Amino acid sequence: MSTEGTARMRNRNVRKVGVTGIGLTLPGVATYGDLLGPLPGERGSVPTALSGRGFRHKDRASRLALRAAEFALHDASLTDADATFTGAADATAVVVSTNLGNAGSVCTTTDTIAGEGVRGLSPLGLPQTSSNVIAGWVAIRYGLRGPNLTICNGVTSGLDALAWARNLIVAGRAEAAVVVGVEPANDVTAKLLGEQSSEAAVAVILEPADAAASRAARPRATITGYARARNLVGALTCAGVAEEESAGLWLGDEAGAGVAPLLAATPRIDLESRLGPLSGALGVLQCAAAAAHFEGGATGNVLAAAGGPRHDAAAVLLLAPSSTTRPSTQEPGERP
Amino acid sequence: MTWDITGMAAVANIGASPREIFTALCAGRESRTPLRVFDPDKYRAAYAYEIDDRPETGGDIPRRATRWLTTVVRQAVADAGLDEDLSQIPVLVGTTMREQRSLELWWRDNAQVALEDLHFGPALKTAFGASTTYTFANACSATLYALGMATDMIEAGMADTVIVAGTDAATESGFGTLDRVQNDIPTALRPFDTTHKGMLMGEGAAAVVVQRADAGSRSVHARVRGVSMNCDAHHATAPDPDGITRAVLDAYRRAGVRAQDIDLVMLHGSGTPLNDATESSVLRCIFDGAGPGPRMTAIKAMTGHTLGGSGLLSLVMAALAMKEGTVPPVLGLADPIPEAVGLGLVQGSPVFGDLAIAQIDAFGFGGINAVAIVEAAR
Repeated sequence: MSTEGTARMRNRNVRKVGVTGIGLTLPGVATYGDLLGPLPGERGSVPTALSGRGFRHKDRASRLALRAAEFALHDASLTDADATFTGAADATAVVVSTNLGNAGSVCTTTDTIAGEGVRGLSPLGLPQTSSNVIAGWVAIRYGLRGPNLTICNGVTSGLDALAWARNLIVAGRAEAAVVVGVEPANDVTAKLLGEQSSEAAVAVILEPADAAASRAARPRATITGYARARNLVGALTCAGVAEEESAGLWLGDEAGAGVAPLLAATPRIDLESRLGPLSGALGVLQCAAAAAHFEGGATGNVLAAAGGPRHDAAAVLLLAPSSTTRPSTQEPGERP
Repeated sequence: MTWDITGMAAVANIGASPREIFTALCAGRESRTPLRVFDPDKYRAAYAYEIDDRPETGGDIPRRATRWLTTVVRQAVADAGLDEDLSQIPVLVGTTMREQRSLELWWRDNAQVALEDLHFGPALKTAFGASTTYTFANACSATLYALGMATDMIEAGMADTVIVAGTDAATESGFGTLDRVQNDIPTALRPFDTTHKGMLMGEGAAAVVVQRADAGSRSVHARVRGVSMNCDAHHATAPDPDGITRAVLDAYRRAGVRAQDIDLVMLHGSGTPLNDATESSVLRCIFDGAGPGPRMTAIKAMTGHTLGGSGLLSLVMAALAMKEGTVPPVLGLADPIPEAVGLGLVQGSPVFGDLAIAQIDAFGFGGINAVAIVEAAR
């Protein structure tokens, strides 16, 4: 065994994997370009019904995820005018990050059993007894037959999901991945979180840089490193962030301040201080914010961090501008 | 490329170690018990395959799945001769329900449960100092998915050793909804028998230590040749023959084997009429023209459906079957369904023979499939 530790979620000389599409379903935030500006102070629900064909008989988290995935696939030019998937369906993975996705369903089901017995339950509730229900619906909607993964890993889940999606691509198990971070908001989630949160879904399309280039996709950011470790300093070290490196933007909470010299002088945005608890949606939303940063023409890498002293670990994800990332004629995150 | 399995551990209703479970499977005595964890008056199903470790005073307690997980990880690590300090070793946990049973007890009975208890990272950090930990909620294919991703990590040079584990405790929401949707309520889980009516929940956990081949470890239980993973993208809960076929063939391709090389199949065998018919039809096609065909068994007949950990439990049993040259029977299988006629399902008592390569099936809700190919360590 290597003496420097074996848990290196970093590898060199592998295919570069980047972001080619982004979609949001987040109350008060229209496009991912808005993530870097002032954000709504109110918390609540997405002001659309998310009803009708394609949403029927599905739990709320799945509906939010489906809408975000729809926007992201469109943004990546991977769907046609009928919203049919046009990519390599057999080789496209779905990776979902969620901690609270089916918590409400689980608890209300026990309420129904206590009050009315199992006859009070709807048979249509069967899929959401399992925490992977969201990833299943996204795959079914677009016919995505690659690996289908659900990560429920606490506050680092979103960053973990992006790293595992990249792993699946690097390992040759997938040619592209739809990564979704999603959390619903209901009585159960409010009680668990100790405060009211906003429902949130964000989807990011990952593709190898060479594949994206060959189909003339517009790359927004490249993932260049990741680690999950005991604390932020450990994660930065494992991810290969050198002391002398500089970052253009740090996405994380203030718990990281002061522990890493690298971060002391780096501009910081804490999405949760603005939007409330994001849980499994956080990391994927940070990735979207990084893309907005690069599309705004800013230089320097983005360092997204989650977790820390109050949690079981800290994770960091490093993002760099794609070689062809450029301020486009489109507003960042604008839906054509 | 192959990967060594150097440590194994498991707990289920029929035993607290891989050896105990394997011995019980070979003995083939009825193992279902009357439902205890939930109020039996509320359900049509009267039986389950629970682990009997709740307080004698009755009632349920939170974090049982977590406790089994830390137990099997500790035992697997010891079995591999590794130190209990896992600060540098990734731990990949596959599960269907996470700690949703604890969530239910928190919601209904005010049990002391926090948001962070839903995933297994905090417990693994406390017990082993582990930080590179992941909870994958990948339904009943979760642990074989995790195994595949562990082999990817080793191949990519991210780790030399990875712990793969799975755990699940029965949840009331899951048990109740199944009770609602199964037309005919089973009194036992009877995979591939014409009397099969559906699945009954089991409880259990399993763990293995996966290491880069020839990492200098003391002993090797079995070698992983390849693991496939995919999604049907077809139905939220029903299996799809095309997706399962692709998963099996991709596993063969990754392992560099052909159908005629398989000596043993550990079936998913959940006992639902739809799974059993689909899985056996697919395997009939796969093994058509492949000689006499492999021996097949389905351990859920005795363990119940242990959900996320069930694939890994089957794999651990396959490792022992290959060591012993013994395939346990499918308990209660007397009259195979028409789709399974001609498959080498072991009935009545164990069969003996030389087993070199095993296939392990695991299929889950969401249409997610994973198939592992494992070879005997000789």
